[in-house]
Amino acid sequence: MSETRFQSLKDLPAAHLLGTGTAMCAGCGALEALHGIYDILGEKTVFINAAGCMTLLSVYPYTPFRGSWLYTAMASAPAGAQGVRDALDILLEKKRIGPEDDLQTVVLTGDGSAYGMGLSATSAAIERGLDFLYICYDNEGYGNTGHQSSGATPHGARTATCKGGHGFGGYKKDLFAIWAAHRPAYVATVVGAEPLDLARKVEKAKAMQGPRLLIALAPCPTGWDYDPRETVKIGKLAVKSGVWPLKEYIGGKTVHTKLPRKRLPVEEYLKTQGRFTHLFEPQRDEQTIQEIQARVDAYWHEFDG
Amino acid sequence: MPKQDIINSMYRVRFHGRGGQGMKTASRVLGKAFFLEGFEVQDAPRYGAERRGAPIFAYVRASRKAINERGIIRRPDLVVVADDSLVDIPAAGVSQGVSTATVVLIYSNHEPGTWKQRCSLPENVVTLPFPEDTQHEHRFISTICAGAAARLSGAISRDCLKEAVQEELADLGEEMVQANLSRALHAYDLMAPYSNLVVAGAGETGETFSKPDWIELPFEPARVSAPSIHAVLTSEKVATGLWRTMRPVIDDSLCQRCGLCNSLCPEGAISLDTAGFPQIDYVHCKGCMICVAECPTHAIHTLPEHETEKGLE
Amino acid sequence: MKRTLLTGNAAAAWGMRLAGVDYLPAFPITPQTEIIETVARWIDTGEIDCRMVTLESEHSMITAAGAAAATGVRVFSATSSQGLLYGMEMLYTVAGWRAPFVLVNVSRGLSSPITLEPDHNDIFAARDSGFLQIHCATCQEVLDSIILAYRLAEDERVRLPVIVNLDGFYLSFTREPVEIPKSETVARFLPPFDPGNVRFRASEPVSQAVAVLGGGPYSYFRYQAHLAAMNATSVFEEIGKEFEEFFGRGYGSLETYRSDDAELVFVMLGSFATKAKDAVDRLRAAGQAVGLVRPRLLRPFPADAFRQALAGKKGVAVIDQNLSAGSGGILHRELTAALYGQPETPPVLASFIGGLGGRNIGPEDFFGIAAETSQAIAAGKTPPPRLLFSEGELKDVRQLQAIAGISPEKPGRDA
Repeated sequence: MSETRFQSLKDLPAAHLLGTGTAMCAGCGALEALHGIYDILGEKTVFINAAGCMTLLSVYPYTPFRGSWLYTAMASAPAGAQGVRDALDILLEKKRIGPEDDLQTVVLTGDGSAYGMGLSATSAAIERGLDFLYICYDNEGYGNTGHQSSGATPHGARTATCKGGHGFGGYKKDLFAIWAAHRPAYVATVVGAEPLDLARKVEKAKAMQGPRLLIALAPCPTGWDYDPRETVKIGKLAVKSGVWPLKEYIGGKTVHTKLPRKRLPVEEYLKTQGRFTHLFEPQRDEQTIQEIQARVDAYWHEFDG
Repeated sequence: MPKQDIINSMYRVRFHGRGGQGMKTASRVLGKAFFLEGFEVQDAPRYGAERRGAPIFAYVRASRKAINERGIIRRPDLVVVADDSLVDIPAAGVSQGVSTATVVLIYSNHEPGTWKQRCSLPENVVTLPFPEDTQHEHRFISTICAGAAARLSGAISRDCLKEAVQEELADLGEEMVQANLSRALHAYDLMAPYSNLVVAGAGETGETFSKPDWIELPFEPARVSAPSIHAVLTSEKVATGLWRTMRPVIDDSLCQRCGLCNSLCPEGAISLDTAGFPQIDYVHCKGCMICVAECPTHAIHTLPEHETEKGLE
Repeated sequence: MKRTLLTGNAAAAWGMRLAGVDYLPAFPITPQTEIIETVARWIDTGEIDCRMVTLESEHSMITAAGAAAATGVRVFSATSSQGLLYGMEMLYTVAGWRAPFVLVNVSRGLSSPITLEPDHNDIFAARDSGFLQIHCATCQEVLDSIILAYRLAEDERVRLPVIVNLDGFYLSFTREPVEIPKSETVARFLPPFDPGNVRFRASEPVSQAVAVLGGGPYSYFRYQAHLAAMNATSVFEEIGKEFEEFFGRGYGSLETYRSDDAELVFVMLGSFATKAKDAVDRLRAAGQAVGLVRPRLLRPFPADAFRQALAGKKGVAVIDQNLSAGSGGILHRELTAALYGQPETPPVLASFIGGLGGRNIGPEDFFGIAAETSQAIAAGKTPPPRLLFSEGELKDVRQLQAIAGISPEKPGRDA
């Protein structure tokens, strides 16, 4: 176990760096994760943003950042990071700025960009060995447009484009595995509801060089249809039910950072969200619930066995 | 020729509520009801960057002739306020364009007189009191407001309102349709004393328009005229606390100073004082209540905003 | 200063080299690729101190270019045709960042049908993006325009990115004598990049390119970019004159050729305009008062210069190497709008569409254009637009169609 300054909740920063007053929804799981991440990354950062909910973090003339920000477009935030990183390196090499003026290059996108439109730009940025941190807030749908199905939507979830009896027919893409297959410096999953695990991973990623990527599961009261107060509870259930494995890829290996020894049934997680109500009412959809359970079981069986 | 014959007289109705309260649905139910009565209609929500809890509005125009106006209603004949905490928030724009001819309907347990005095509203303020079980009824706000507005217009029959609710909410299933219908009709009946209070306005004529104060926009250098912010933390000027209808309140006697609420608050609206007690920034707290749900010692409880220091009495 | 044979692509690479570019995000596409290959070679040999990175698409390439410029380095990039269109979202986007850099476009016709040969539909698709556009007629002009483009883009009164356009094949792969200026002289004409309004530094936090809400602020920002683009006309005239003092070659927003005393004037863009010059000489020799006006700037549109150059002419023939489906030649439409209602507007403003997908415009075409426009002048009426397309060409198409199993007489499925 590598050393961490985050041994208990008491070690987490008590004073927060990201400003209040953003346009994110009350109870936003993405903003919760970003808060934790920004506390550790700090202000010597430039966030390169793709179209998504968090585009509205910076709406003229309001910004919650102490550092810098650049909005690009939905498909090309990693390419924006490439331009900024390269330009900073040039400025440093040619001594037009001093090392004290350097910035960490951070890409911030939702799952719509990360799993879909921006995937080729991300793949190429990793293959070029770009020194950057990628944060994907994964709310499992095109959240900013009213929660339509995306490449990150889980099987059976009701979305604005899958309102039928069975919800979304596809399966959530394994972005962690796709990213890890590129052999970057670091990949990790996090969730705002587990702030200690999140802080340790950001701390680790911050100290490394090269492509480092985080996927933050972002419970979304609006899109997932639940009371905003439940955001943390749902995030924790995602971990305890084994639906959202907390893990990291480092040095060519994938390691779980929190093992749900006695996994809760997935329905404990599904039941908390309106987007899965049709699996329980008016009749229980045993087949779909079992299928979701079986897939989670199979995932863990692979790692346990 | 009298002016009314030349200028299209029209009902212009604006609904004010919070994101998530169904103001779009309210505007659609009222729009459909007018339509079923044979009116030409426009209904639309106004979108912005604001999320659930943020002040938003929707509007309806209804006329016996084709409607050529579009966009935001600037001079409403009827303003419906679904959430009374919005009335004294200037940014919510409830009183924008309100004149002595405008009727203001507020879904509130306070008397019209209180509102008139407090917020300098016009003479025609009507209030629609909350039902007994406020929490449970909360999800019917949109149809309650639409039903009341329909009666105030004096132009919509009970049958047309009924049909409008049924058609607009059909996707929710029969049970929800019936539940909404009974609320809408109840509100419609409650407003019987004020039927016809709203008068369809004529709008402005060529004689009353004045030329805008257009300017020749001068060139300004890119440092000034690019969409860039050369300052930090400016979002803190946005009082997102206005989105809140309930507030979390910390009982220091129960607080163990574990700091969990501080770590989990998505807004970063909870800080720790020198003694380690959490302090809530009510200017920015959006009222998600994650802190209430997660506090291990249940030291945080909720309080309706109208029972806090901003209360009327 | 030395004179040597260079292709248009090599001239573009030399322009970039002399401008002291820090950064080149790249993506290959015919007929542009030679530019980035040339620069890559110079980087390998250490002849220039520039960082080059190959992106995975033009969309990413233009994003990286804009982002690097917004961080405060001098940036160059190049593309063509489909690539320009693939990056189109970002052309509009980065122009709004007010981050100056130079992009070369080597014009090539657009799909469908896919083709390699040149016309101007690609660059006209970018005309409303906020990028300024300089169009070149010779390889010398390619080199010079890139240096001018940096001065123009980086000027305090402008601060917008610039596209330098050259025609595929006719310039890109064609060698001509080009005078390569001394780098010391260029360095005096074009000082090091002052990032000005755009930079990312830990000590100066800034949020760039943020969202706006509401039409008021949006109108302000967009119109400011327009006003900056409008400033570029006089700035270009100014630096074009200064360029002449340094290098002996002057540039204005329009090139005029024997047009002062002309009654009939050809108007066209790019390298084919030298063919029009040739035709002007031959028509003059035959006693016809013909001239040429060629815009170097397409954005900003040099409306005032056009009004002056065309005042009192009897007829104008606009030859568009582009086609707006459902409207016609775009330069013709823009010129008509600029001249409408002006004093001494030429009564005849004829539209010709030619050179699509590399279709040649030969001397006989120019003679035909002059003849039809002269007839129109005599009749006092602007003729309908004409496509330069002959009976022989249709015959050729028919032969191809026959091989493709298509019979124009029986176009149905049973044919």
